[in-house]
Amino acid sequence: MLDGVPDMIELAGIRKAFNQGQHNEYWALNGIDLAIEANKVTALRGPSGSGKTTLLTLVGCLARPTEGRVRLKGEDISGLPERFLTEIRRRTFGFVFQQFNLIKGLTALDNIILPAYPTGEPRRELLERAEGLLARLNLGHRRDAKVEWLSGGEQQRVAICRALINDPEALIADEPTANLDTHLAKEFMAILEGLAGEGRTILLTSHDPLVTESDVVDRVVEMRDGMIVDER
Amino acid sequence: MIFQPAIIALLLSSAICVLALAASAPFAFEVIRRWDIRSGSERQLKLERRTYLFSTLLAFVLVAQLASVLLFVFNAEKMSGMFVGAMCAVGTLNVNPYGFPALNAKIALFFLAAMWLAINHVDSRARDYPLVRIKYGLLLLLAPLLAASAWTEAQFFLNLKADVITSCCGSLFSEGSKTLAAEASALEPLPAMILFYGAMGLAIGMSSLHWSFGRGGYGVAVASVLGFAAAIAGILSFISLYIYEHPHHHCPFCVLKPEYDYQGYALYLPLFVATAAGLAVGAIRPFARIASLKSIVPNASRRLAAIASIGFLLATAVATAMILRSNLVLLDH
Repeated sequence: MLDGVPDMIELAGIRKAFNQGQHNEYWALNGIDLAIEANKVTALRGPSGSGKTTLLTLVGCLARPTEGRVRLKGEDISGLPERFLTEIRRRTFGFVFQQFNLIKGLTALDNIILPAYPTGEPRRELLERAEGLLARLNLGHRRDAKVEWLSGGEQQRVAICRALINDPEALIADEPTANLDTHLAKEFMAILEGLAGEGRTILLTSHDPLVTESDVVDRVVEMRDGMIVDER
Repeated sequence: MIFQPAIIALLLSSAICVLALAASAPFAFEVIRRWDIRSGSERQLKLERRTYLFSTLLAFVLVAQLASVLLFVFNAEKMSGMFVGAMCAVGTLNVNPYGFPALNAKIALFFLAAMWLAINHVDSRARDYPLVRIKYGLLLLLAPLLAASAWTEAQFFLNLKADVITSCCGSLFSEGSKTLAAEASALEPLPAMILFYGAMGLAIGMSSLHWSFGRGGYGVAVASVLGFAAAIAGILSFISLYIYEHPHHHCPFCVLKPEYDYQGYALYLPLFVATAAGLAVGAIRPFARIASLKSIVPNASRRLAAIASIGFLLATAVATAMILRSNLVLLDH
């Protein structure tokens, strides 16, 4: 908490187990206490299996902790029924997945407006907003191209546009540069800088030095074996 | 005798309900004893995840119980042709001593289940489970009644003997009989009409007032109970006479027969739904001051009051139409 203003996201005593009670029980997170400040870029860094992605899924309400609480602007969201979580996911978080998870067979434009359909907004407004996002990320000329025809960098930009279609306060990105070459990774960091400049809270995982050592990132949290071991 | 589709459906529905409640009881105890929303412990999080599952399951089985009242009465009426002396559902229900207790238990359960469902509904709309302990506590209170109802129903169906000579509605609802129903049947038409229209007017008025202005929540519940009682008394004492066009036939079940075009369903359905909705208004009222329910309870209670208001209005209109269409003259002009 800074100057009495609650942090955007607070994690308190978070533990997360998979296959609990079975012979292959695995604790992916083991006692995480972390406060993520609003309007800042926070990166989770750590080797494979350190719990970065699991932590992202808990913050983004895609999974629930086994123990501990996740608070969004002071409100406990870890125990909320699914009906409320859907709305929080839609309004508060935008997701950029490592494999982008775009829907093949649909155009870039259709992929982008898809998460906004449940809001019931008129299609015309959604199209305007999607086209604005595409233009901003220099992808306007590819609006009607099917996503499988796009290059890796273009697919990632479509995924970013899709994450932003509902104008979320926070953007969550899992290993965003893992499938990109240096040039495209730098391009992504430039986009990130623009989004951070708009005052969005950004949380990402990465073990790419190009990301974690970038000036755009305000804070790097080092993870290992499901615990936070260091931060800068 | 029990191999009738309706009986199998009723027994299965009751058995599933009892089983679901039995399975939920340990969880309900755990919620009452250990629920602590401030804690982030593994146990608390597990309770939070499971309460959604149990609430959904229980809501489902209790909704099935609401529907089963209708099927129970329909089945009793349909089976009346199988018993010597039975003219309508009354004959079937009189075949053994469990018939009417089973029906009464089902009706009681209908109203209590509706109240629990209303509490569950508002609780599930809030983000902090404000009524979780209360609703599981009430569920534990409901469980014995549910089990008793299922047992009575099973006894009724298992003891249906075709060679029993049963008594028809004429004896039960005659003015000379010494039962509560008979006493209601013996009411003079004019005072019964005044009571019926007065109580229904009060129920419609109170629920409309709450629907429009959000006032008098408990009044709606009380007026609904009065309206229900007066409507049943009215059906016994004069509405049935107008329907059958017979000055001494007071049966509230014959009206469900095909000979009378199933008119009774048009009367009973809105009456039962309206009473349940009115009672539900009272059931959720005490929780209107809880911070997370401050906007949820008034909205839900006004919607329920709207259902009650429309239901009572419909029941009154149907009864009035039945009276106006009748060729029977009960009151001198």
